[in-house]
Amino acid sequence: MSTNARNLALAAAGALALLTLPYWAKDLYWLHLATLIGAYWILIAGLNLVTGYAGQLSIGHVGLLAVGAYGFAILAGTHGLDPFLSLLLCGALGGIAGLLLGLPSLRLPGFYFAMATMAFALIVTELSLALGGLTGGGTGLSVPGFPSPMNSPWGYYWLVLAVAAGVTWLTWNVARFMWGRALIAIRDSEVAAASAGIGLFRLKLTVFVFSGITAGIGGGLFASLQSYITPDTFVFEIGLFFFVCIIIGGRGTILGPFIGTVILTALPEIVAPLAKLGAFFYGLMLLIVVLLIPEGVGRLVEVLIRRFRGEPHRSHEVKPDLPRLASVLARKEDAA
Amino acid sequence: MLAVIVSGLAIGAVYAAAALAYNVMFSTSKVLSVTTGHLFMLGSVFGAWFIGTLGWPIPLGLLGAIAVGAAFGWLTEIVAVRRVLARSDEHLWLLSTLALATMGQQAVGLWWGTEPRPFPRLIEQDFASGLADQKYWLPIGLVLVLALGLELFYRGTLWGKLFQATSEDAFAARARGIATDRVRSFSYLLAGALGGLAGFAAGQLTFAFFALGLQLTLFGFIALAVGGLGSNLGALVGGTALGLLSSVASYFFGGEFQHTIAVGLLMVVLLVKPEGLFGAKRVRPV
Amino acid sequence: MTSLSLPRAVSAALFSVLLGGTSFAQEPIKIGWLSSLTGPLSSAAIAENQGVQFAVDEINKAGGINGRKIELLTRDTAGEPTKAVNLAQQLVFSDKVHVVIGPVNSGESLATVPILAKAGIPNIVIGALEGLIDEKKFPYAFRAINTNTQWIAGANNYALDVLKKKKVAVIGDTSGYGTASAKTATELLEKAGIKPVYSVLIDPNKTDVSDEMNKAKTAGADVVMPWTAATGLMARILNTRGNMGWDVPVVGHPAVMALPIKALLNKPEYWENTFAAGYQSTTYVDGKLPERTQKLVDALKPALGGKIDFTFWWVALGYDCVKIIEHVVKTTGGLEPAKFKATLEATKDFPGIYASYTWTPQDHNGFPDRNIVVNSANSFKDGSYDKAPH
Repeated sequence: MSTNARNLALAAAGALALLTLPYWAKDLYWLHLATLIGAYWILIAGLNLVTGYAGQLSIGHVGLLAVGAYGFAILAGTHGLDPFLSLLLCGALGGIAGLLLGLPSLRLPGFYFAMATMAFALIVTELSLALGGLTGGGTGLSVPGFPSPMNSPWGYYWLVLAVAAGVTWLTWNVARFMWGRALIAIRDSEVAAASAGIGLFRLKLTVFVFSGITAGIGGGLFASLQSYITPDTFVFEIGLFFFVCIIIGGRGTILGPFIGTVILTALPEIVAPLAKLGAFFYGLMLLIVVLLIPEGVGRLVEVLIRRFRGEPHRSHEVKPDLPRLASVLARKEDAA
Repeated sequence: MLAVIVSGLAIGAVYAAAALAYNVMFSTSKVLSVTTGHLFMLGSVFGAWFIGTLGWPIPLGLLGAIAVGAAFGWLTEIVAVRRVLARSDEHLWLLSTLALATMGQQAVGLWWGTEPRPFPRLIEQDFASGLADQKYWLPIGLVLVLALGLELFYRGTLWGKLFQATSEDAFAARARGIATDRVRSFSYLLAGALGGLAGFAAGQLTFAFFALGLQLTLFGFIALAVGGLGSNLGALVGGTALGLLSSVASYFFGGEFQHTIAVGLLMVVLLVKPEGLFGAKRVRPV
Repeated sequence: MTSLSLPRAVSAALFSVLLGGTSFAQEPIKIGWLSSLTGPLSSAAIAENQGVQFAVDEINKAGGINGRKIELLTRDTAGEPTKAVNLAQQLVFSDKVHVVIGPVNSGESLATVPILAKAGIPNIVIGALEGLIDEKKFPYAFRAINTNTQWIAGANNYALDVLKKKKVAVIGDTSGYGTASAKTATELLEKAGIKPVYSVLIDPNKTDVSDEMNKAKTAGADVVMPWTAATGLMARILNTRGNMGWDVPVVGHPAVMALPIKALLNKPEYWENTFAAGYQSTTYVDGKLPERTQKLVDALKPALGGKIDFTFWWVALGYDCVKIIEHVVKTTGGLEPAKFKATLEATKDFPGIYASYTWTPQDHNGFPDRNIVVNSANSFKDGSYDKAPH
């Protein structure tokens, strides 16, 4: 009961901190970073259900981000539609793209699926260049902002925060109830999950389409934050980045990937030499996490907190009791 | 049109070689390594460095490139495969090889530079030899030799038989006293050497370019999936088909749609014949 | 004791703050420099950085501008637009710079120019794409480099008027810059009444371009005009032309003259009959460079190990960017955005090394057409070139 209350208090404090961020952030640059993290998180929260829960390793979500971003730039910019309506349509567009990608590829085994998503990202870049009449080709498109009061950095931050909170709440609900359990079952063993009566493909597809919707919305908000998009914006490394955020944060949780997103976005900004290493840094982090703490940093923090609190450490390990065995054996020998 | 076919065959040969390297590693470990394409990249970059920059004689440069490829293959096994296979999670190897591939590519980019650099001429030949140029025939000839060599190796040598035994059923092989771990290490070494050699042979076609790896990982995989996982004949056919398709398609439609077309081929094959053209049907996933 | 000394310490601190306030003129001039020093598009940025760094050191050694030192804040964008946007925000809001140079690549600049405009920070633009300059939308953005159109027009004029060719093959690459440039090139040719006999976009990593070149030849092209900044692709075009034994002039993007191309060519003579738009300032006339350029070459050469193995105009451009800022500070005493705008808009024929700049309220593109010349690619010597034959 008391831990529950404490968790609730912690969550409330975190929410308050996020809500008041524009008042205590050092300057607009940090506010911009926070907004960027928010836009990324909207995508990552959805991707987390696909990768962290259902275990489908999509390394090409940057393609879906690009679909949303271009969708927003074309709808709200070229055609002058209402930005909020455009954002909703972006979600629909991302969902459709997710469906088109998921339908053939989610039937495939892991590596095949990963490669299919990577190829999808390359195809989106290719098409955004080739369909110059729609996307501006290599020159790209200017992206409009939102109407007042969302046109100020503060207003925009709150908008992104609100959407991010909504998406987080949705994924949290999915993860907590039967769905989430089913997804984890798929991740850990597809065969066992199927034998327990889980409709594998439909469930995977539903989650994947959901992640397409969040990627579309995240892409629209990302584009508006960037104010200009070109095909060069959506490099493969960003897709890798999303993916690494989840793995490093820890699969099967929501807080872990969130921490991963915050750290991986902010760290290269604070420590300049890391930015120089670029993708090498992401690769190294990924390797370390996979080899040493496959449950992710979030899990590590959890364990450390538990240890710090001094809660009893429950070991599931069965250790052989050697002295007792020796004594039993000795007795047997005596008998013989 | 002949030029389109020859250049398609040449680049298709590189894809086929990448598919062969996938197969060698897959047979002993059931792992598809993301580092596969990077073995080729290392072969061409280090070949160019040894011969072009350090001025080594060509045979020595060739040996060096093979050694670097083999070393990276071995490193893949030690760092990214061995530890991970011991765990039950079936996807971890994808993550670890992806991590290693990313680090390898970025490290080469930082050291070697991100512009493509020249690869030295290997055989005295006039540059104006058109379609008879070595840059086309070296990779094509080499991949045929490699496929034949692998076949002979599997059928004719004791090590090859150990490979096959491990590939058929690793548990049974271990029960019969085969050191499957050592066989697996050796297979990564072999795939690395193969990649280094093929990257070296194709260097004049691709230039020594740091980003070659990821592209070959993808296209080699498409060749493999089209041809059928585990089949060396399939690797040859899949690579050739993909190379020809890309080159004919970009002849007719320009270069703007080449990924779309390559992936289109993959999807069609996987929908019609999920195990690939020459692949064995996967029995059941349990 | 302690209770007495504390107020004294406070007043001393206050005093020093006041002193600092009076020496306001000594506050350094903060220049933000968005440069893609790493990443796939780093070669131009590294050369430009040489020029920027040299100019800053030179000015600071001489005691600064009006006694104010320059503080250069270099930020590596790695060529990624998203990073460039983050770093632009950082320079403006965290570091509070007075002016920003860059970013180097047009793709990044497209994203940062509106942001800097919104923040009201003066910006010296060194990307060549047309859309970067808009006197109304981005009032504080001034371009130092030529526009892409100036490059293309220079090359087109040479191919049509000097070489007297009418059958043009236009080659672009599938990158953002390549597609945009190939489009502009085709439009400009059509304006001159020429419809390209063949045009194609090639993936910059495509390993073999013989079918494209064969098609161009079959279409009857008598000049090939490649618009790509990708060194590898450019080298493959030249190699294929040479291997085919096709004696056709290549006129195109300056990347065809960059030194790394030379190493990628099968034979040195494949660089012959190859021309590109270049600059008066880095063109030898009777074996001599313009005086101003030569001075900078002499000053820089020792630091670079006695030889210059990259195109020198990048260095000159970087140097000029700092000198333009110096010019504004000297004229107005500061970098207040409105004054910055007014000063540069009134600047006529400001003698830089890279070019002589003129900006007006109607046109923030400072680079004059007459400073573009066409060079022969294979005449590379110490970063500069000979004029193409007339």
